[in-house]
Amino acid sequence: MSFLKSPQWEWYIVWYFFLGGIAGGAYFVGAIADNFGGKRDEEVAKSGYLLALPLAMVCGALLTLDLGTPTRFLNMLRQFKFWNPMSIGSWGIGAFGGFAFVSAVLSFARDARLVWLRKNIGKVGSLFGFFLASYTGVLLGSTARPVWTDARFMGALFLASGASTGIAAIGLLSYLRGADLGESWYKVKKADSFAMVVELVLLVVFLGTLGSSGRAIWAGTFAAPFWVGLVGVGLVVPLALSLTLRPRVGQAGRLAALASILILIGGFALRYVIVFVGQS
Amino acid sequence: MPTYAMFTDTSVCTGCRACQVACKQWNELPAEGAEWTGSYQNREHFTDKTWRLVRFAEKPSEGGGVKWLLMSDVCKHCNQAGCLEACPTGAIYRTEYGTVMVNQDVCNGCRYCVSACPFGVITFNKDTGRVNKCTFCNDRIHNNMPTACAKTCPTQSIQFGERGVLAEKAKKRLADLQKQGVKEARLYGVDEDVLGGLNAFYLLLDKPEAYNLPPAPKLPQRHVVADSALSIGSALLLGLGALVSFRERGARSGESEGEGQP
Repeated sequence: MSFLKSPQWEWYIVWYFFLGGIAGGAYFVGAIADNFGGKRDEEVAKSGYLLALPLAMVCGALLTLDLGTPTRFLNMLRQFKFWNPMSIGSWGIGAFGGFAFVSAVLSFARDARLVWLRKNIGKVGSLFGFFLASYTGVLLGSTARPVWTDARFMGALFLASGASTGIAAIGLLSYLRGADLGESWYKVKKADSFAMVVELVLLVVFLGTLGSSGRAIWAGTFAAPFWVGLVGVGLVVPLALSLTLRPRVGQAGRLAALASILILIGGFALRYVIVFVGQS
Repeated sequence: MPTYAMFTDTSVCTGCRACQVACKQWNELPAEGAEWTGSYQNREHFTDKTWRLVRFAEKPSEGGGVKWLLMSDVCKHCNQAGCLEACPTGAIYRTEYGTVMVNQDVCNGCRYCVSACPFGVITFNKDTGRVNKCTFCNDRIHNNMPTACAKTCPTQSIQFGERGVLAEKAKKRLADLQKQGVKEARLYGVDEDVLGGLNAFYLLLDKPEAYNLPPAPKLPQRHVVADSALSIGSALLLGLGALVSFRERGARSGESEGEGQP
């Protein structure tokens, strides 16, 4: 299949997929914590919203830079092809940025009406968060490139990774800004463990449906970042830490921060392997 | 409006590459220098500046020698065009003649179409930051002229005309060849089985793979609905997981009953 042409999507796109996943995941997890959690979970929500806004802006910058002539991004907005991942992705990231902005501002709100508004905006914005974390997988799946074209479940897998890295980033940011999460740390840990288990299962299903073309992922040039970066550092080690250690409240934050860094490395490895394996 | 097509009959191609030169001249495409590909073929693949490309495929012949499979290749202007479906800006569009065009003023260089072409035709042009491919001589066909390559071809290996008429010609030519004992001859892209029919179709003397053509190309976008549905399922599952994790259940202590085990 060597006559097929590569789109030459490189580091801008790897970073975009990675950071977009975190932004989407952090936002919807934050909004869920905001809407269904208790008073203390508002700090989790705040971390989620405060992550989503700058990351959405960085994502926009990465995408426009990748075009070479940034103003040409506006050409994307000439059309709305709802069946085309690249087209709705362009609109979706804009809408997500809007929600992230409002939610981030309202995360400082004390007034009950504004808090009510923030929670409800979070509910709608979450849909865009889910979208941002997953559409990139669907986008790659609808190309003619090797591996990508055979890959089903890629959007689902990216979404799981967006959730696990989004929660990890929430944990890391909460720790760094000294947020008083108290027992919410256990909820963060629980949510992230669940996301990682789902991600592992989806990874197995994903490779299963790929069949022999999956060899390029787990046996070739990308075997090291796949096995060490994604599976080992990114999933198995933090999952083992999470399931075996029972930290006291005072130490939970530090442990979560450590696990978060590992999970983020794994999320980056996933995007790196997938983006480049379809173009090599 | 008629649907135009090009029929490339590889059985009469002599590999002179007049088509390749005519394409370059009419479309003012600069030379790219020679490239050693291991055969007389030059270049190895389509580029942003090479839209017609004569392929020189070598095939061992019965006598122990090597024989050429010659084929002048071009953008297929597919009826189900992966590039057109992929284009988010509307730069790639279908003309009233059924051909597929790139509007250079609208293309923004996202390269999604490049990844979506099952034939590796459309190419990113680093100089302009946009994509290029065969235009089916859009300026010529709108002025009642055949494409430059078809006009130039000295052996009528490349023929231009209305699609229906050419398809009939192709089928008749195939029947003639088979009557003469050319058993391996076959048509490629005339019928709808290949991407809804190609508007540049071929008569081949061997399997499509021998010419670097995919035997059964499919529209790359055919999985969008299924992939999206799976993503929505994943979203529901992970959303539920987060919901259960953060839900307040009375004054339950976070320390109790094995936290972290989903």
